[in-house]
Amino acid sequence: MHGITKRFAGVTALADVSLTARAGEVLALMGENGAGKSTLIKILGGVQPADAGEIRIDGRAVLLDGVRAAKSLGIALIHQELMLAPNLDIAANIFLGGEGAGGPLGLLAPLPRAEMNRKAAALLARVGLDSPPTTPVGALTVGQRQMVEIARALSASARIIVMDEPTSSLSAQESARLFEVIRQLRTDGVGIIYISHRMEEVQLLADRVTVLRDGRHVGDLGRQEATTDKIVALMVGRELTGDYFPKKTAKGSEVITAGGPPLLEVKDLLVPGAPAGVSFQVRRGEILGFAGLVGAGRTELVETVFGVTPARAGTMTLGGQPFAPRRPRDAIRRGVCLAPEDRKRNGLVLPMSVAENSSLPNVGSYNRWGWLDRAAERRVAKAEVARLGIKTSSITTKVVTLSGGNQQKVVLGKWLAMSPKLLILDEPTRGIDVGARAEIYRQVAALAADGVAILMVSSDMEEVIGMSDRVVVMRERRVAGVLERAAFSQERIGALMTGAQKAEVSA
Amino acid sequence: MRRELGMSAALVAMCLALFISNSDFLGQSNAINTLRQISMLGIYAIGSGFVIIAGGIDLSVGSVVGLTGVIIAKLSSQASGGLGHSLGLGVFVALAVALLIGLAQGLLITRLHLQPFIVTLAGMLVIRGISQTIVEGGTLSLGTSPLLRLANGGLFMHNGDPLLPYPLLMFLAVIAVGGYVLHYTVLGRYVYAIGGNREAAAYSGINVKRVETLTYVVSAGLAGVAGVCYAAYIGQMSQQVGVAYELYAIAAVVLGGCSLRGGEGTVLGIVIGSTMMRVIDNGINMFQIRYQDADGVPRLWRLNPNWTFVIVGAVILIAVVLDQVVHVVQDARRIRGEAQPHPPSPAPATPSLPPT
Repeated sequence: MHGITKRFAGVTALADVSLTARAGEVLALMGENGAGKSTLIKILGGVQPADAGEIRIDGRAVLLDGVRAAKSLGIALIHQELMLAPNLDIAANIFLGGEGAGGPLGLLAPLPRAEMNRKAAALLARVGLDSPPTTPVGALTVGQRQMVEIARALSASARIIVMDEPTSSLSAQESARLFEVIRQLRTDGVGIIYISHRMEEVQLLADRVTVLRDGRHVGDLGRQEATTDKIVALMVGRELTGDYFPKKTAKGSEVITAGGPPLLEVKDLLVPGAPAGVSFQVRRGEILGFAGLVGAGRTELVETVFGVTPARAGTMTLGGQPFAPRRPRDAIRRGVCLAPEDRKRNGLVLPMSVAENSSLPNVGSYNRWGWLDRAAERRVAKAEVARLGIKTSSITTKVVTLSGGNQQKVVLGKWLAMSPKLLILDEPTRGIDVGARAEIYRQVAALAADGVAILMVSSDMEEVIGMSDRVVVMRERRVAGVLERAAFSQERIGALMTGAQKAEVSA
Repeated sequence: MRRELGMSAALVAMCLALFISNSDFLGQSNAINTLRQISMLGIYAIGSGFVIIAGGIDLSVGSVVGLTGVIIAKLSSQASGGLGHSLGLGVFVALAVALLIGLAQGLLITRLHLQPFIVTLAGMLVIRGISQTIVEGGTLSLGTSPLLRLANGGLFMHNGDPLLPYPLLMFLAVIAVGGYVLHYTVLGRYVYAIGGNREAAAYSGINVKRVETLTYVVSAGLAGVAGVCYAAYIGQMSQQVGVAYELYAIAAVVLGGCSLRGGEGTVLGIVIGSTMMRVIDNGINMFQIRYQDADGVPRLWRLNPNWTFVIVGAVILIAVVLDQVVHVVQDARRIRGEAQPHPPSPAPATPSLPPT
């Protein structure tokens, strides 16, 4: 792939990226979330077209104008989100789209069931999955489904196999099995592009490493030079702009250094799906950052604190009182608010206006003789718009027409109207431009200075370091370490996130 | 398959109970007429099944059934209002129109990304209106058209009734072809894949739009075939023929084990569902209990036919509730199985000390 460029609605996702995969070689493709890895491989898989650039296979330029085209050129993609039909059995999923509909009967060609089952059984043996090929995929665990995906790539006798974080849902045993398969494929002369955040896997498997950052190609490392330090430095190596983040006010830091009692104390909280309980605490006026890779369990954790998914075990206290929300309503009543990661889905009702969204969590308080007190609603919304500097033509504008930054401010505004004690921000600046970001940072810092405790989940390293008083680093749904502000560094957080460094607690 | 077995058992029990309460249920004329009714419903229910298994919905089925009969009556009837062309021409045009309706709706849904519910709802109204315009608000008689023999005739005549009425033979043919296509061909596999995970199907290189469009063509086409049967059965075409039939089809398909989310269901299930719908319908008329009143006079208690919709609705609800219970139990079992390899341990794996 050479000079690949891709833009989405004005945002450049990939700028002039080049990548070379060789037969019989494992190329690790690395980068932070949002660095453009997924976009790049989607282009390679024919899912999306590139805006510019050229793809050559065996030195010949090829046109990848669809999944079929990529497939027929021997490119197989294993997606991070599993692309399987749960209602069909294993064999059907492995051969989906390749059943041999090309004959004279076309789509009415009979399904070669016996042959498919036989071939599927052989493929399953190769990937070490001992379920019969007639098992419905819906009955498999996530790890087993991953193995089905891999078997599917093998079935296409692909020459280039792209794996997007294939081990993210595998057990250690299943991963080991996968590595064997990968080594075997390498010996067979297949070129493998391996995307992973896990340093040990990359060190174990990769012959070369290509690093992307912010949609740009920032480095190629050979097997010998690909040390964890070097990779992490390339992945996160941005210049930090110091005054981008508001200075802590004296008041805020006083509250923290005074070591007041924790507002929220979480003990051994067992989030459904997590392997172990999580403990942490946050004080009034403190910003507690949660760093980690996608899938590290941070969103699930804060959703449990907010009562979206009740905890399986463990205890929480809020302001010294027991706190066990079973639904978001319980949390909101106790002054805990969540600005969710996917604000368009969970944070806003897009076709409704700014004012209607602002009053939504609290619409009962605008009740006057059974009528909605629109005047009060407008008054509160106007105050929030002014306070947060929301750029909207009016408070009756539908939020769907606002920019991402202003939408996020509306989400903040709807909670601020309720004077929260604990505000949870999940990826508060994802997809938001620089100006609105600075504004959101200023507001968050001001809230902390007013004594609101803040939990901030962020995959943006700069943001975590610039905003947090302390950082909880999560990995594989556990706490990998807790760092104090003095101990912050991109390298340390990065190493904890990827498991390059074993658990650490700063003193 | 378990679902089909359960439904079959329920069906057999229902028929047995009906037969015990009133032996006329399996008497020649009632049994054959019920078979005819099952067949005509089953033909278009299988068409609806294609759409529903692919994750869509077709609300225009009933209107297509009506329009087919109206076109045949208009073109080929010798009676007043008819144009007096040959019966062959009428049937051909009617079926061609049905297929075109399916194609048009399928293309609108897949090419313009419109919601199937809306497109086929509009189709239902438009097509119904066209029928109404053609019959000019009245009825069109098929007169003594040879088509009438299609519904009433058949093979192996016995005491004036055919043991194998033609609609049943057509139904068996549709079952055979539909079952083969859905369960044994690549096309069928794609229909299930699209219903199960549309994105996965697209990522597998399947031409999702074409397959989806085809399901609407199949649905409208089979509605057309059923429409020919109904025209022959009724003989007098008015704008009312086929009203709400799409709902019967959806009910039969859901009773037979298809999920409206798509990806689930079998032709056998749809056949059982259609049978159940018609047996319930007929059973409400046939069911009776003999008893003696206080004076020792033998009397018959019968169901109030006004309850028909209540009973049909209740049966559908019971079926989906049972289905959901089975799903929830299965999911719980699966999640437990998944949790097994990684038992949750209460102790945090890494120490996280409070800051100093």
